[in-house]
Amino acid sequence: MPVENEIDDLEMQVMRYKPEGIDELVRNTKFTKKELQIMYRGFKQECPTGLVNEDAFKEIYAQFFPQGDSSAYAHYVFNVFDADHNGTISFEEFVIGLSVLSRGSLNEKLMWAFKLYDINGDGYITKEEMLDIVKAIYDMMGKYADPPISENAPGDHVERVFQKMDKNRDGVVTIDEFMETCKNDENITKSMSVFDTIL
Amino acid sequence: MAAVAAWLPFARAAAIGWVPIAANPMPAPPLQERQKGEDEKLGINVSGRRFETWRNTLEKYPDTLLGSPERDFFYDDETKEYFFDRDPDIFRHILNFYRTGKLHYPKSECISAYDEELAFFGIMPDIIGDCCYEDYKDRKRENAERLMDDQVSEAGDTVQPMTLREKMWRAFEDPHTSTLALVFYYVTGFFIAVSVMANVVETVPCGPKPGKTENLPCGERYALAFFCLDTACVMIFTAEYLLRLFAAPNRCLFMRSVMSIIDVVAILPYYIGLGITDNDDVSGAFVTLRVFRVFRIFKFSRHSQGLRILGYTLKSCASELGFLLFSLTMAIIIFATVMFYAEKNVASTKFTSIPAAFWYTIVTMTTLGYGDMVPDTWAGKIVGGICSLSGVLVIALPVPVIVSNFSRIYHQNQRADKRKAQKQARLARIRIAKNASGAHFINKKKKEQDREDKIKQGIDIEEEPKDSRFESQHHHLLRCLENTTGPDLHARYIKDREFVEMEYTYNGLAAPKAQSSPPTPSPSQSSQGNPVESSCCSRRRGKYQFARSVSDTGQELNDIQIAVPNKTSSKTHLNASEPPKINSTNTTVTTSAIITTPTPGTTSDTEESMMTVSTTTSPGNSNIVRISTL
Repeated sequence: MPVENEIDDLEMQVMRYKPEGIDELVRNTKFTKKELQIMYRGFKQECPTGLVNEDAFKEIYAQFFPQGDSSAYAHYVFNVFDADHNGTISFEEFVIGLSVLSRGSLNEKLMWAFKLYDINGDGYITKEEMLDIVKAIYDMMGKYADPPISENAPGDHVERVFQKMDKNRDGVVTIDEFMETCKNDENITKSMSVFDTIL
Repeated sequence: MAAVAAWLPFARAAAIGWVPIAANPMPAPPLQERQKGEDEKLGINVSGRRFETWRNTLEKYPDTLLGSPERDFFYDDETKEYFFDRDPDIFRHILNFYRTGKLHYPKSECISAYDEELAFFGIMPDIIGDCCYEDYKDRKRENAERLMDDQVSEAGDTVQPMTLREKMWRAFEDPHTSTLALVFYYVTGFFIAVSVMANVVETVPCGPKPGKTENLPCGERYALAFFCLDTACVMIFTAEYLLRLFAAPNRCLFMRSVMSIIDVVAILPYYIGLGITDNDDVSGAFVTLRVFRVFRIFKFSRHSQGLRILGYTLKSCASELGFLLFSLTMAIIIFATVMFYAEKNVASTKFTSIPAAFWYTIVTMTTLGYGDMVPDTWAGKIVGGICSLSGVLVIALPVPVIVSNFSRIYHQNQRADKRKAQKQARLARIRIAKNASGAHFINKKKKEQDREDKIKQGIDIEEEPKDSRFESQHHHLLRCLENTTGPDLHARYIKDREFVEMEYTYNGLAAPKAQSSPPTPSPSQSSQGNPVESSCCSRRRGKYQFARSVSDTGQELNDIQIAVPNKTSSKTHLNASEPPKINSTNTTVTTSAIITTPTPGTTSDTEESMMTVSTTTSPGNSNIVRISTL
């Protein structure tokens, strides 16, 4: 029976992943040793095998956004964190991603955001890609928002943003256009630092 | 939620993705100073076994004892750890709950001990993980059933039926309560047996009536005798039914119960038979009615617990039985159809129709094989073979379920009965042990008192081990109680009120050890005769354990005993018998001592009635403490 085989396979596959030494991680990220210790402990508590797969990732994310459906957005975030695209996030990938997001420079953060929006990684954000992301974000709000979210809201939102960013009207947003737009927008630059975390 | 608190920084960081498309600036983040001691380790000492964990781990669940400031009550400043005087083995599981978020129930622990620990640490049992929840619930249910059983039987023991009706009902339900009930039980059982036997014997051929040649069954030969027997049995059953109906607390419910329906069905044929005349048309129906007389045998289920259990098992296995029936029916129809079509073309075949083939299929599947119908064609034989093989399987499947159900219920019942039987012996043993420790306690108290008396009197004492602080305070407390409830010091003849050996039955009903003969009036007279002495010497009475005056209830006995010569007119000690009672029932005062040693009945009423000249015969049924009225 296929289910049995699956279970057998899983049992064979209990991989254990050991991260690099803590000193190396300290060098590669902007976290201190103590912060890394705390983060690793939390990480390993939730994922004893040392690897996060997408389902676990989605589950964790869902706990923070109980009202809506955060699986789509979690999927995109997962793809960005998973630098080598092997389907799992190791602790290094996790920590490096977090280092960029909480301690990185504005440029690095904008790069990360661009990578998030550029779903297929070809260096261009198309309208469809942006629509996907925006829909995913709206999904996280869920149905019970006030004022309620209309069907067209994501579409309209994408139109607005695209208008702002796509300077040469070629239907795609390149990394330079993206960076330029964001750096010139005071709101965005200020908001980027809101999420810096002190552990 | 708290379990993923470690991931919150990540969720916040990932929110950077929203920023480029946000129309408005984000709100400012909450001010966060670095919280001190967030990753601080706490030491928890549970009965000597040391556990350590992060503070964060415990605070994941702030509505429990360990996660809330409530744990500060248990903080030991000297050793800088939290000390709990609880079971360390169970604590391990509780701490794991904080660590992993899942509460497990260890099978080796007693369910009530585990529940207690959970309650102590403020954890809801519903959080138990799926892996252990079923087991937990099962054991909890067993425990609750057992407790309920005990309670019910205890209630049964102590409740005294008041009215005649209740008494009768109890007699019917539980024959062991009185001899009459037992007699009734056996008599009805006997008559049921007689009736059933008569029904059976009726049909046995008895030989021809004198003068005739026909071989008659006994029922027709001795028709009158059998009729009389039947009448007698039915009268007994009717009387029994009416009595039960009268005694039942809820008549409608009783009439709908299975047993009463069986009773009715058992006696109805007789009455209907009386009503029907010897008409040929109806006599056929009448004969059919007689069949229902066999239901009398079910009346035995009141007499046999095993039968009741069997019935209960069948009821509880209704779904399995239903499944058995259903699958058998399916198989029968399939095989009968195939057989019919296989044997259709055989000349003078017995398989004339599918329903006719049903009979063959049933007989074959249950491996009876009468042989009255056999297939002739080889196809039919093959089908017949398959039929018999599958029959064994289909029948064998649900049977173990039914059997195990029966076994479980039967053993449960056995255990309940055993427990009840053992309970009496156990309680008696416990009572004896308590008596012993109670006597020991009283001894100690007396010794301590004597010591103190001697000290006050300046007499040298041998070095004896001093009571612990707790014990001495306890003794003092009891002495105060004696003081409060003691009789008037006028009455010299009265023995000292003291805590005596427990003479009481487990129910706490007093049974006085001995009754001193009541020449009470005269001593009271004599005590009355010295009113002056008694009133002013009441405090100087020797060796009285109590000073009875309203203002003196709190007075230290030591003071009293200083000025008093050793008058031991009524100093009887442990074997103090009850002061005689006059017209009052003993009441018990139970102090919350180490062991429940009921004080000797507060015959304060009786003594009081003796004190005052007027006979205040106070009934005093339920006085706990009476302050004297001098």
